[in-house]
Amino acid sequence: MPAGKGRGEPNAGRTCVRKTMAMLCRLREVPRHLLVCEKSNFGHEKSRHRHLVETHYHNYRVSFLIPECGILSKELKDLVMDSGPYYFVKDLPLHELIAHEFINTFVKKGACYALTYNTNIDEDNTVALLPNGKLILSLDKDTYEEAGLQGRPSQYSGRKTMKFIVSIDLMDLSSKLDSKKYKRISWAFKEKKPLKFDFLLAWHQTGAEGSTMMSYFSNYRIQERQPKIALSTVTDLPCPVLRSGELRGEPEAACSAQELFEWLGAVFSNAELNNEPDNFISTYCCPQPSTVAAKACLCTITGFILPEKIRLLLEQLCRYFDEPKLAPWVTLSVQGFADSPVSWRENEHGFRKGGEHLYNFVVFSNRDYWLQLAVGANDDCPP
Amino acid sequence: MNSVIYHAFSQKDAKEFDIQHPGTQRAEAFVRAFLKRSMPRMSRQAQEDHLQRKAVVLEYFTHRKQKEKKKKSKGLSAKQRRELRLFDINPEQQRYSLFLPLHELWKQYIRDLCNGLKPDMQPQMIQAKLLKADLHGAIVSVTKSKCPSYVGITGILLQETKHIFKIITKEDRLKVIPKLNCVFTVEIDGFISYIYGSKFQLRSSERSAKKFKAKGTIDL
Repeated sequence: MPAGKGRGEPNAGRTCVRKTMAMLCRLREVPRHLLVCEKSNFGHEKSRHRHLVETHYHNYRVSFLIPECGILSKELKDLVMDSGPYYFVKDLPLHELIAHEFINTFVKKGACYALTYNTNIDEDNTVALLPNGKLILSLDKDTYEEAGLQGRPSQYSGRKTMKFIVSIDLMDLSSKLDSKKYKRISWAFKEKKPLKFDFLLAWHQTGAEGSTMMSYFSNYRIQERQPKIALSTVTDLPCPVLRSGELRGEPEAACSAQELFEWLGAVFSNAELNNEPDNFISTYCCPQPSTVAAKACLCTITGFILPEKIRLLLEQLCRYFDEPKLAPWVTLSVQGFADSPVSWRENEHGFRKGGEHLYNFVVFSNRDYWLQLAVGANDDCPP
Repeated sequence: MNSVIYHAFSQKDAKEFDIQHPGTQRAEAFVRAFLKRSMPRMSRQAQEDHLQRKAVVLEYFTHRKQKEKKKKSKGLSAKQRRELRLFDINPEQQRYSLFLPLHELWKQYIRDLCNGLKPDMQPQMIQAKLLKADLHGAIVSVTKSKCPSYVGITGILLQETKHIFKIITKEDRLKVIPKLNCVFTVEIDGFISYIYGSKFQLRSSERSAKKFKAKGTIDL
């Protein structure tokens, strides 16, 4: 390249080289993924498993895999079938979510979750309601400038800020009924910039039976939906051998946590794990050392699933090993919504090239567990 | 004195004394021969030069016209103007109801300017007139702004300077709103116009003479 240029233009040669290098760098850049692996025991007092399950608010898919198991036990099956209804409301105006009645009926009594449906986190306005009473709005630039509510720019914006995050504390608002703040928010949502979204709602009620979501939102088109459940049995599944004490695995004796994570992904996508060299779709091979399980039970629940239900499922899986079983370990994976504005607690979540935020438990027979948390590029390190 | 000693012969005298005009060529030759005999040392070229009197110009001077120093009246600097407080409004005069007649006056002025506002008029025409019109007394409100706390402020425009609007709101509060990065709404008889403050950074007096070009982006 530079040799070809004449002697009269030395600078042109240099810029040509610089542009090519910049393009190569951009091609080589892969958005980063983070995988955090930790191990602990369920009986340990400082174990964070409960906190992490409860603060991961918007869960899209829960799957668990039990090797060497043909039929699910009755308790597990009941739990799976009872993974709560969730509600879908079309064209709900935003000012309904800050109405005093809504806050008193749902937010204060129990845990209420809401997420806008079919909005892309990096393009459109997205709204999420967290159980601690915070309403998080992720607005694009024009909406933020017109709405007039105080917010901060998103962490994952480049030189020009395109997304802004507005956070409204509903518990705080409801305590002062006639404050200026409430009047301003109410004015912004009702007159200045009325926004309407399709919402996915779920409510875990504690306490006495009050009105339900169906009756409260009867003016709008609300549907009650049940999560989709897929139960299957996989035969002759090669499973890696794991040792609960060794996260990184031992060279000939056990596999590492990362290898297990990859293998689990291959199983969930129903890939062939035979290491056939001429297979067009996948040449993945189960990590060694491995044993072959005659049959394994794979169950997937898809929908807007409450963290409380996941906690019950996890506890039930722990109790799986109360009786002696053939299986050495069981796994439970939970995936979050790619378009949710928060991942864990109130950490901001962005899409970039695949907005994944998920966690995976591997439960061993001695109540040890491995926990793997994975996030994508536009995310902070998981807690 | 010279005229006493030397003066031309008249025709009559010349005839009397029998003097003939020598003719130009003979006179020239005579002068040359005379000079040669009188100044034998000088060359003929030097004599010619002397006769012709060439002057060598050493320097070239042109007299510059003395420009009259303009006596400008100094005027007041911004600091002195602020001290004079010509444009301040006293707190006791800051009442919204006091300025409602001003708003009515402004509405009448705009109606006259646009030759009677009819509902079927072209909005472009009204906008063109509004660009050059004076906005004192209009009810403006902020629709869009980079700073969210400015959004929603509505009131009668009291003063317009180069960069700001001074507005009095219904709650009798005088608000100073910078024009930069704000979009204002002016409403007259059902015609709503948006003013992009970033392009409007002119004194109202200068705005009537300015031609607006569509340059840059209207994104805030």
